[in-house]
Amino acid sequence: MSLYKQDKRQVCESCFDYIFIEMVHYFNDIDNSTDKEKELKSSKLEQMGYLTGQSLAERLTGDRSRFTDNLDVIKFVCKDFWSTIFKKQVDNLKTNHKGTYVLTDNNFKWFSKMSSNSGQEDFKKEVLPYLSFPCGIIRGVLSNLGINCTVLADVNPPNQCIFQIKTVKS
Amino acid sequence: MPGTYYFVIVGTKDNPIYEAEFTQGADASEGSPMKEDQKHLSQFIIHTALDVVDELMWCYKESYLKVVDKFNEWYISAYVTSNGMRFMLLHDTTNPEGIKNFFTDVHELYIKVLLNPFYEINSPITSRAFDNKVQQLKRKYLL
Repeated sequence: MSLYKQDKRQVCESCFDYIFIEMVHYFNDIDNSTDKEKELKSSKLEQMGYLTGQSLAERLTGDRSRFTDNLDVIKFVCKDFWSTIFKKQVDNLKTNHKGTYVLTDNNFKWFSKMSSNSGQEDFKKEVLPYLSFPCGIIRGVLSNLGINCTVLADVNPPNQCIFQIKTVKS
Repeated sequence: MPGTYYFVIVGTKDNPIYEAEFTQGADASEGSPMKEDQKHLSQFIIHTALDVVDELMWCYKESYLKVVDKFNEWYISAYVTSNGMRFMLLHDTTNPEGIKNFFTDVHELYIKVLLNPFYEINSPITSRAFDNKVQQLKRKYLL
């Protein structure tokens, strides 16, 4: 069975939502005492995302020709990769041509079912842990396609996510 | 020897991740001194060819680089993936269609290995199932 043909078997999307929620809760519940441990938690989630992203990159680029240029890779991330993972394309891409790219997604799929009891300001604080995993995935995809970078994310409620990619000049 | 093939998957740090050799007819597990020397020589030849592949990688967008180098009577073909993994094949008879199909199928097998969450990228592939499948593909496309 080829990996690239359309499979008839499908899995319910909420399965992923539940496992994602549980992942973040697991890391949050380990130990909340020191700041250093809080950082370790988000870096563990990010590392999980990184490994996932690396494998995803190989899987999604397997049947197409190789990339010639950083901008091509970022465009691939914005179109093909985003459509496969989030079922839509990135809404806005900005670059300063010096290695920084800003991807804006106006309706981030993974947060579409989340809401906060205490209103918009607290939503931002509560949703931050959930951003480490997607950042890790993006970093993994880019690093496997040849771009070493750091990825930071920010949320504007409701559901607008901004990912800032800073490539490291070698 | 006609019909001998030596296949290596080289990682991003120039480390071999998987090696397999295949001889037509004779049993590949013979331990004669001639075979041992041949194996070391094959590794040297592939290592030299890596430089050529690194240069050619940036010139072409295609993954399959066909024959990149020649050593005495051996040809070296290469296939590069988007992630910088290089599949190198040492062979003495040319068969571009067969080799291209072989590389494409091994690439699919490699992606399946990557889907294993316990497999660390750039580490050696030790799965027996992968080994068996590669041997099957060799029999199908290269002989």
